[in-house]
Amino acid sequence: MRQKLPRWGLFLWLGVGFFFVALPILHLFLSLSAKELFQTLKDQEVWRSIKISFEGAFGATFLGLLLGTPVGYFLARSSFPGKAWFESFFNLPIVIPHVAVGIILLNVLNENTWLGRSLSFFHLSFVDTIYGIMVAMCFVSLSYVVSAALMGFRAIESDLELTARTLGASPWFTFSRITFPLVFPYLLRGAVLALARSLSEVGALLILAYYPRTAPILIYERFENYGLAKARPITALIIFLSLVLFSILVFVSRRIGQKDVA
Amino acid sequence: MSLEAQIEAKFSGFNLSVTLTLPAVGYTVMLGPSGSGKSLTLKALAGLQPTKARIFLDGKEISCQPPEKRKIVYLPQSHALFPHLSVYENLLFPFKAQGRAIEHDLVEEVVETFALRPLLSRSPRTLSGGEAQRVALARAVCACPRVLLLDEPLSSLDFHLKFELLSFLKNLPSRFSLSVLHVTHDPLEALFLAEQVYLLRKGEVIFSGEIGLLRHLLKTKEKGGLEEVLRRFVSFLKGQNLPEIWDGDI
Repeated sequence: MRQKLPRWGLFLWLGVGFFFVALPILHLFLSLSAKELFQTLKDQEVWRSIKISFEGAFGATFLGLLLGTPVGYFLARSSFPGKAWFESFFNLPIVIPHVAVGIILLNVLNENTWLGRSLSFFHLSFVDTIYGIMVAMCFVSLSYVVSAALMGFRAIESDLELTARTLGASPWFTFSRITFPLVFPYLLRGAVLALARSLSEVGALLILAYYPRTAPILIYERFENYGLAKARPITALIIFLSLVLFSILVFVSRRIGQKDVA
Repeated sequence: MSLEAQIEAKFSGFNLSVTLTLPAVGYTVMLGPSGSGKSLTLKALAGLQPTKARIFLDGKEISCQPPEKRKIVYLPQSHALFPHLSVYENLLFPFKAQGRAIEHDLVEEVVETFALRPLLSRSPRTLSGGEAQRVALARAVCACPRVLLLDEPLSSLDFHLKFELLSFLKNLPSRFSLSVLHVTHDPLEALFLAEQVYLLRKGEVIFSGEIGLLRHLLKTKEKGGLEEVLRRFVSFLKGQNLPEIWDGDI
């Protein structure tokens, strides 16, 4: 028989875990003065950086979904030698240090390489541009989308699609009416994680696309140039906005998940 | 004749070689132990399993047609109800998939026949095994198939639900003018439902004929459960000079 841990002990441990994360955040908000916060809210540069952050993160997530969904589908539905290696490969961006991600992207996308030159022919430049921000964010967050898509497509019973075909559905109708709606909650969860990861990216952006400044880069810059006091208000603002956004996204993804389960 | 098929397929360590004929309206049961190739045969008929098959429906070859064009509906053991659609939306799926106008009279008829009225707004996830099977059958009928393939439709149900569903199944061919091919490893299902029976063993049909043969066996007085029935059935078949490939390890 399994030994049950005392309930109060579990709550104590839950409290320790909660305060480990919540205390620094609470302390940040409590250490802010109204004047500092008001000044930050009036600062156009702060709002510009927040706008760039969200544009970059949404763009990167969209790119990630475009790239990662078919990859997840292919890995879930096909069988070929080395498939397990490919599955592990798409987790690689998580383990590469993010400054190193910046270096490798800069190395391949600068305008002295054949790829950089070719893309600049289409007016696509990645060094210090919003496209660079999107590519760097997409690189570090792609694995979340691939993993979610892989899990989603694997979870769909093949009988559902086979039966749909014999009921008269073409392959496209089967995909759009059966496969996609069933995998959508997984993709949404993957997209929420990818968005979160993208918004918090700093290391790769420091190297590839310092400008236009995203909010984390601006925080870093204010800290480097003016110290902790000047970095605090913008940090609090970005944390607040992130919490609001993620509460909404998590709520929406749960509702969709519950609807699917109900 | 409704459907004639000759199916040949090779898998690692297993060869499937089945020839069968189904009537335009009637109930056929394919009986065989696990791993005898019953489900593969159904998938091959439905166009879901690549095989060297020649399949004729009303004299017209359909072997090269994709599954959605064959008018052969396959129902797996899992019922395959679409979990993100309500029961009613599941019933309408074949109309939308085939680009047909919704035939409300037909929908009403299947709702009545399969006693689905209280279930229409429910999610398939909330249905019992018997309810799910009735919805799956009703949805299959809405696709207006010529042939309905049922893969062990009663295997996951307890005795009471199985008994309740048997009458729905039995009336299907005459009520909706279709041919049913039902695969199972349970001879009692064959005895209750079949007009025609196929016995499959290691990928080959070792007997096909009227169900009367099986009924004849059950009329004997000896008792010994299903294994005894099958053993006696096999002895009976051997007496008919059939190949001796179904012996011993049923």
